[in-house]
Amino acid sequence: MSGEAFPLSRPGGLSPREWIAGVRLVSGRELAAYFDSAIAYVYTIGFVVLANAIFMNEFFLTGTVEMAGFFDRLPLLLSVFVPAVTMRLWAEERRQRTIELLLTLPLTTAQAVLGKYLAAMALYGGFLAGSLPIVGMLLALGHPDLGRILGGYLGAVSLGSLLIALGMLLSAVSGDQIVAFVLGTIASLALVLTGNDRVVAVLDGLAPRLGAGTFLCESVSVAPHFDAFVRGVVDLGAVVYFGGGTSLFLWLGARLLRRNRA
Amino acid sequence: MIRVERVTKRFGSTLAVDDVSFVVNPGEVVGFLGPNGAGKTTVLKMISTWLPPDAGKIEVAGFDVERSPLAVRRNLGYLPEHNALYEGMRVDRLLAFLARARGLEGARLRDRLAWAVERCALEAVLGKRVHQCSKGYRQRIGVAASLVHDPPVLVLDEPTHGLDPVQVVAFRDFLRGLRPGRAILFSSHILSEVAAISDRILVIHLGRLLEDSPVAALEAKARAAGRDLEGHVLEIVKAKGAAA
Repeated sequence: MSGEAFPLSRPGGLSPREWIAGVRLVSGRELAAYFDSAIAYVYTIGFVVLANAIFMNEFFLTGTVEMAGFFDRLPLLLSVFVPAVTMRLWAEERRQRTIELLLTLPLTTAQAVLGKYLAAMALYGGFLAGSLPIVGMLLALGHPDLGRILGGYLGAVSLGSLLIALGMLLSAVSGDQIVAFVLGTIASLALVLTGNDRVVAVLDGLAPRLGAGTFLCESVSVAPHFDAFVRGVVDLGAVVYFGGGTSLFLWLGARLLRRNRA
Repeated sequence: MIRVERVTKRFGSTLAVDDVSFVVNPGEVVGFLGPNGAGKTTVLKMISTWLPPDAGKIEVAGFDVERSPLAVRRNLGYLPEHNALYEGMRVDRLLAFLARARGLEGARLRDRLAWAVERCALEAVLGKRVHQCSKGYRQRIGVAASLVHDPPVLVLDEPTHGLDPVQVVAFRDFLRGLRPGRAILFSSHILSEVAAISDRILVIHLGRLLEDSPVAALEAKARAAGRDLEGHVLEIVKAKGAAA
């Protein structure tokens, strides 16, 4: 036993290698926790079966060789499935009181937040991977627009990223899994449904002078930005919206975790 | 070394820790004694960097808890109150995760893990999940986790909570064995336990440090006053606590 003090490899902080290693460590533990329980299997199978079944139903009705039907339903599905994935990320740490153990390790709060975010993204990647047989089927049946399919997947990753960051923030805020799930679903549905034409019309109709429906659709909703990806258009506004939103929610989550300790 | 200088902490209108100062030197085991709600855990949480002090200064192994929290955590073995562990993780994976998070890797990681497992007698539960382990094993897992990186400073919050008498005696011996070169601070509300292990006792009540004396000196004072140690400490808490 040495009992001697050992400083960090860099005065005042971690080296980039240590920083990345810490994020990977948290991420790996979190991903293992998903797979240690039935969560990862149940959610992945549930999502893949539901999303693919909805698409196949529409595919047989329309008979067109494109994936738009899959991506069009994705925001609504993710509004339920993503909060189910993220609800435990901080709320469970608080319930088990392991948050103190985690955040008194030589890791920054940002590393812990990013590690958990990447674990949730990896699980979500599994959700999306379950739709790849659809791409294979479309390629076998005809000549789908691969640019639009790729755009759709980019949109799906961006949308998932935003909703995961939002769900993590709400999990950190609420401290209870059920509350985190309900809040996450409501917030996600709000972001998705404010882009629905009927919802926009109803909101505009309630206060025509304010034009709240149109304002929310253009400024807040994920719909116009996600739709651009699905059309195969990757515009800067959408990238800033999803990237900025994800960063903002992750930053708010880290800030809240640093402040809200007892 | 742990250096706590004039530290104060409030939760809303409640003054949880009031102008507390003390030092724990390397090679010293110090018992932190006080009734429930006295402020012991709040002080330990501030030393661990979990809570920031409202006023005052805390140093661990020469690093300031507010300016260099990561360096403090590297040099600190901390067993939090309730010894919360990841219930669903296998014990070996949990220990490896915590060791890696504290900067261990390669051969040193393997050596330190083997050392912690052997010293805390965890061989029998390494393949089990934490929730499958008994209370005694869980406590030993927590202690192993706090020691695995060979920290020069050890802070243990109620380390014997939930242990049976045999395990408590074994833990005392274990803690004494860790003393060389290390500053060890542990909390308890059981005087006999603190007196049996510690070189020095800190008594805290209502957030104020009422006593900071070597065990032998405290015992001598108790004898001079015609009381046993327990009665003497109770008298200190009553008299100084009322004055505070």
